[in-house]
Amino acid sequence: MSYPVKIDLHMHTVLSDGTDKPEEMPARVKEAGLELFSVTDHDSVTASGILRGILRPEDPKFVSGAEFSCRDEQGKYHILGYGFDPDSESIRELVGKGHGLRMKKVRMRLDFLRDRFGFDFPPEEIEKLLGLANPGKPHIGNLMVRYGFAETKEAAIRDYIDKARIRSEYIRPEEAVSGILGGGGIPILAHPIYGSGDQLIMGEEMDERLKRLIGFGIRGVEAFYSGFTEKMSSEMLAFAEKYDLLVTAGSDYHGSNKLVILGDTGCDNASEGPRGMLRFLDEIAQKN
Amino acid sequence: MQNNPDTALIALKGRIDSGNASEVEKNILSQLEGKPSVSVVLDAAELEYISSAGLRVLLRIKKAWSDLTIRNVNSEVYEILEMTGFTEMMKVEKAYRVVSVEGCEEIGRGANGTIYRIDRDNVVKVYNDENALEDIRHEQEVARLALILGLPTAISYDVVRVGNSYGSVFELLNARSFSGILAEEPDKMDWCVKEYVELRHKIHGTLVPAGKLPDMKDTFLDWANYIRPHLPEEAADKLIRMVEEVPRDNHMIHGDYHTKNVVLQNDEVLIIDMDTLAVGNPVFELPSMYNAFVGFSELDHGVVKEFQGFDYETSTTFWKKVLAEYLGTHSPSKLREVEDKTRILGYTRLIRRGYRRNISDSEEGRASLEYWTKSLLELLGRIDTLLFSPDELEVDASAENLDEVQSFVEERLEGSSCSAKTMMKIAVAVEEIFANIANYAYAPDRGKAGIRVEVLNDPDSVTITFTDRGMPYDPLANEDPDVTLPADERPIGGLGIYLVKQTMDDVRYEYKDGKNILTIKKSL
Repeated sequence: MSYPVKIDLHMHTVLSDGTDKPEEMPARVKEAGLELFSVTDHDSVTASGILRGILRPEDPKFVSGAEFSCRDEQGKYHILGYGFDPDSESIRELVGKGHGLRMKKVRMRLDFLRDRFGFDFPPEEIEKLLGLANPGKPHIGNLMVRYGFAETKEAAIRDYIDKARIRSEYIRPEEAVSGILGGGGIPILAHPIYGSGDQLIMGEEMDERLKRLIGFGIRGVEAFYSGFTEKMSSEMLAFAEKYDLLVTAGSDYHGSNKLVILGDTGCDNASEGPRGMLRFLDEIAQKN
Repeated sequence: MQNNPDTALIALKGRIDSGNASEVEKNILSQLEGKPSVSVVLDAAELEYISSAGLRVLLRIKKAWSDLTIRNVNSEVYEILEMTGFTEMMKVEKAYRVVSVEGCEEIGRGANGTIYRIDRDNVVKVYNDENALEDIRHEQEVARLALILGLPTAISYDVVRVGNSYGSVFELLNARSFSGILAEEPDKMDWCVKEYVELRHKIHGTLVPAGKLPDMKDTFLDWANYIRPHLPEEAADKLIRMVEEVPRDNHMIHGDYHTKNVVLQNDEVLIIDMDTLAVGNPVFELPSMYNAFVGFSELDHGVVKEFQGFDYETSTTFWKKVLAEYLGTHSPSKLREVEDKTRILGYTRLIRRGYRRNISDSEEGRASLEYWTKSLLELLGRIDTLLFSPDELEVDASAENLDEVQSFVEERLEGSSCSAKTMMKIAVAVEEIFANIANYAYAPDRGKAGIRVEVLNDPDSVTITFTDRGMPYDPLANEDPDVTLPADERPIGGLGIYLVKQTMDDVRYEYKDGKNILTIKKSL
C-alpha cells in the first residue's frame, strides 16, 4: 500500500476547546498539505460523526478520534482513541461518562465561585455554558471576564477558579483503554512525556508508566508531537521499539486558541516513519 | 544588546507553568509582534522554574524565531532544558557563578586576559573583553584539542562572572609559573631553559588535523599588510614576500610562548593560556618569545620586570640560552642569524600593535615606533629570507672564524656515534677546507662561507658541505703531491687537500649557480 507523507492525528474543534468548527476542518487540513488526519476532541466523538457526513472522496483521508482525560492513583493521562465506531455501545458509554463527569465538575466550580466569592451568573448563561459540548475552566473564565469579575481569563482561572479544590471523579485509564478497544478502536497514549499536559515524565518513570498502561491494553504512543524536541521524540521511539508499540504523530492544534500550527508534529514524512507508525497506518487503512 | 535593532531582549521572571504559560506566551509575542526576523534573547536571570507548559512556549517561539538564545539560566532550569533536549535545539547559556578576584595573587597575564589564583587549587583567567564567552569557548575547544593531541595543559572546568566580564576556572594544584621560578630561584635558570625548550619541541612536534587551527602565516601576513603604509614600499614588499615564502606547516604553535604561560604543577610542566593556539612553521613561534623577553623592554628595561617579575638581564640571558638550546649550538653567527630573522617578525608585530593601540599619540610611543621601524628596515636591508636550518652555518670567510666553524661541526656531531679519532680527522679536514676558502676564495676581498652538516643514521655517516661565492676553483683538479720527496723539495701547498682525500671516505667538488661546492663524507 502507499503511505501518506504528511499526517496529523491530534487536533481540536469547538466541540471541545478548539476554535475551528468541524465543517471548517477539511479545508484547513487540505491547506496544511495533510493526507491523513483525525479530530480528537476531549471526551467527544461528535466531530467525527459530522466529518464522516461531509467528507468527499477527494478530501484527505480521515480517521475517527477522541481524547480522554484520565486519572488514577499513579497520575494523570490523556488517552487518544482512533478508528473506533462512534455509534458503538462501548464508545457511547465512555463519552457519556466523560461528559457527565465534566458537567458535574462545571456545576461544582460554579457553586464554588458563588459560595466563596459571590460570583453569580444569570441562569440563561449557566444553561448556555452547560449546553456547550465540552465546557471547562476557560469557558468559565471567559464568562467571568464578561461579567467583570476578572480582568483576563488567565487571571480568573488563577485567582478564583483554581482556588477550588474539586474532588472530582475521573475516567480511569483502564476504562478509557477498554472502552476504545471495545468500540473497535486503537488506544494511544497522548504526548506521553507531558503526561496530562504539564508533567515531565521521562526515563525510569516513563518506563513504569508504559508497563502499567500496556497491562491495560494500550497499543501505542504519540511519539511525534508539536511540543516535543527531537530528543523527546527519540526517547519515545526507543520505548515504542522496546515494547513493540504503535507510533502516531499529532500537533494538538486548537485553532487560534494556541499557537500550535496544524500539521506541525515533528514527523516530516510518515511514509518513511518508524515501523510502529507504518503498522498503525496499515491498521487504519484496513478499518476504512 | 538591548539597543541592537536586530535583537529583541525579553526578561523571563518567576515561574512559568500551566497557570501562566499562555499569559507569558502572549506577553512575549506582543513584544515580538511585527519583528519576524529578529534574534530573540530571553534573559532567564530571574526565571526560577519552568514546567512543561513553559517548555512548549519556548519551543513555539523557537519555531517562529529560529535565532533564539536563552541566557543566564539557573542550574535547575538548565537541567530541565538539558534533559528534554532543548539545549540541543537552541542556544542556552547557563547563569554563571560570581567570583571576585579582589586581593587575589596575579599569576599570569596574556594577550586576552589575566590569571589569578582564587584558592589553593584553582585559578581563574579573567578576560579583558566583556563579551568574552566566544573567546572562552574557543579557548576551551583548542585546549581540549591540544590535550587530545597529547600536550600537557589544563582544561577549564567552569565559567564564572567576574565583575563585568567572564572568567574561566582551571584547577592548578600548587602550580608555579616559570616566571616565578626564574624570579625567585635564579640558580634554576638552566633547568628552566631545558624544560622550556623541551616543551617547545613537544608543541612543534604536534601535528594538527587540517583546518582545526588558524595558520600563523596568515596572521603574520595580516600584520605585515597592516604596517605596510608605515614602511617604504620596497621594504614592505620584501617583508611580505619573505613571509609568503615560508612554507605552510601543520605543526602546532602556541603563539604566546613566554614563561608566565609555562607552569610547573607538582613535577609536570604544563602549557596554559591556549587562546592563541595556531599552526605554522616554527619560525613564527620565535617572535612572541623574543618580544616577551627582549622586544617589549628594549627601550625601557623596567617593562619586563613588571610583566615577568624578573629583571632585564635575567630576561635577555634566558632568551639567549633558550635560543642556543633550541638550535643546539653556541655558534654566535648562527644565533645572530636566527635572532635577526626573529626580530624582523618581532618588530613587525610590535609596530602593528603600536599603531593599533595609537601609541603614536605620546612622545614615548612615537620614539618606540621610530626605533622598531628603523631596526626593521636595517634588518630588511641585509636579510633575504626568514627561513633557517639548524644544520647550516654562514660566517665571514675569515681565519678567525675557524673555531666557530669547528665548534658548530662538533655540536652537530654530538650524540652521534662519532669516535674521538674520527672527530679529529674531521676537524683536520674542516680546518684545511675552511682555511682554503678564507685565504683564497675572495682574496683580496671578503665574502661568506657556508657550512652544512648532515648526520645520517644506518649506516652512521656525516656529510659536510662547504660553499663560497668566490672565484671558481676545483681543489681536486691538482695532482696529488709526491709525499715521498724530502720536505724541502716538495712544492708549497696541495698537501692540505691531499690529507682531506686521504682521511675522508669521499670528497667531491662542483661549481653550480656561481658557487664552489665542496662536499666531504665520512662514515662514523
